[in-house]
Amino acid sequence: MKDTVLAYELQQVSFAYHPQQQILDNINLRITAGSWVTLVGANGSGKSTLAKLLGGLLAANAGKIYVEGTEMNQESITHLRPRIGMVFQNPDNQFIGATVEEDIAFGLEGRCLPRDEMVERVKRYADKLEIGHLLSKHPAELSGGQKQRVAVAATLAMEPGIVIFDEASSMLDEKARGELQLIMREMSESGGYTIISITHDAEEILASDRAIVLKDGGVAADVSPLELFRNQELLSSCRLIAPFRVRLIQELSSRGIELDPGQDIEEVSEQLCRYISSK
Amino acid sequence: MSVHFEQVSFAYDDRSLWRHGALADVSLSITPGSFVGIAGITGSGKSTLLQHLNGILKPTAGRVKVLDFTIGAGDKGPLRELRRRVGLVFQFPEQQLFEDTVEKDLCFGPLNFGVPLEEAKDRASRALEMLGLDDSFLPRNPFHLSGGQMRKVAIASILTMEPDIIALDEPTATLDPQSRAELLQLLSRLQREEGKTVIVVTHRIEEMLPYAESWIVMKDGTPIFQGTPAELVREERHLSEAGLALPECIRLWNQLAIKLGLEQEEPCLSAEAIAERVAALYEHEVHPPTWGGGAGDAG
Repeated sequence: MKDTVLAYELQQVSFAYHPQQQILDNINLRITAGSWVTLVGANGSGKSTLAKLLGGLLAANAGKIYVEGTEMNQESITHLRPRIGMVFQNPDNQFIGATVEEDIAFGLEGRCLPRDEMVERVKRYADKLEIGHLLSKHPAELSGGQKQRVAVAATLAMEPGIVIFDEASSMLDEKARGELQLIMREMSESGGYTIISITHDAEEILASDRAIVLKDGGVAADVSPLELFRNQELLSSCRLIAPFRVRLIQELSSRGIELDPGQDIEEVSEQLCRYISSK
Repeated sequence: MSVHFEQVSFAYDDRSLWRHGALADVSLSITPGSFVGIAGITGSGKSTLLQHLNGILKPTAGRVKVLDFTIGAGDKGPLRELRRRVGLVFQFPEQQLFEDTVEKDLCFGPLNFGVPLEEAKDRASRALEMLGLDDSFLPRNPFHLSGGQMRKVAIASILTMEPDIIALDEPTATLDPQSRAELLQLLSRLQREEGKTVIVVTHRIEEMLPYAESWIVMKDGTPIFQGTPAELVREERHLSEAGLALPECIRLWNQLAIKLGLEQEEPCLSAEAIAERVAALYEHEVHPPTWGGGAGDAG
């Protein structure tokens, strides 16, 4: 049983907001601790609802959810909930404090941490997210990317083992999105977090270990990100578009030019120049 | 000119925490029936700019001319007609919906401007269809929809007003990629077939490259670039200067252009167009492709 540590195990989980409208239907899932899993699917496929169930914000109508081996229910939720951090789409809706410092401290106060430890954690996580210089700022003085960093710092300061990102990057500009992705990569590499992210962002999906495709309230596929992007049928069923680099490689391939996807667009460009001058 | 800004400045209250995002001496023109992209980072003034289009904000100095309306500092003028003709879609759809059914929400605008109920309902159904949602959504509560569906309803509620200018603030942010491509295709169709002026504020430059005929890049409340997509690609430094990430397609094209001496050509930006050009170069066909050939690549 205990060969691999599971962050989550879902057994026949179903959920409906209204009896006549089933949102999630009989979901079975196992998520290994320390892995980075992306939930993908079209608008309205049940991704956010599943995230809320995983975060304990909603209770399933049927089935069981185990968090690190403990079944989530009325009794266990109080000690399971602190294990799970959530970062949402709109950082404005998540900002509670009047300053960055107060915002990061808010959750810790709720947990009645000694003052010294609170101060230390606020500083440590603010530094980690490179917002140490913003501690006295009001949220309105921050950019979208900075606000989202505050939200991540506030979440990580609670030291959860599981962090759920619900489209946390979708409101950010490309640069801030890249920066958030870097934070997620570092979290993943540290091995200390199970990451569940809901996203349509191709690069973010590509960075994760595993993609779970939701469709009409069920799991339509459970594949590696690269498999997902190579499977046109699957892509259109979850209404995704492959990243530019992957599409370019495919377009070239259909014209008889085979390239290695490489690490970045610079590598692709090098290869293309070599190819053209090889004639 | 559909839209003409003459030395427009706008200042939020100096003591306000929301003071950034103001406009400083903005002069720009938007041709009727064109598709314009406005890019810039958070706080660069692009949303403030958009809110001047239908008089939600009025300049503190300078003049804004939109269609046949002119708005200057302190003008109180009749804005009702302007607001019917300029449809604005804000960044957060949940803040734009308020009725208890989708149909009521979609009919609210037209009814408010004196359209008979039957026609309003007809427009509601048509607008919804344009966004790929069927009539089964009409009786539903908009607040029970997913984020992406709410956004589509919010956009449909603007289309029911049949405005001449459609201005959208980050309309694609919460949509799945195919819905994003479909929305841009719809906007492009409204522009080409119905002559609407479409203005889209975005930080996803790449996805709009096939559609936008001209670009405005904002930095610190001022446009630092106004021009065609080809000019934007050649002068990519403006994007970096504005703090924006360079789209991969622009990076790739410019690298190829420098190494292979293609600087004078119309840039190829879609995966398909670049692949085609590379194949042609390999075959030593040196005819550059015509611009616009990439529009079919959004899917």
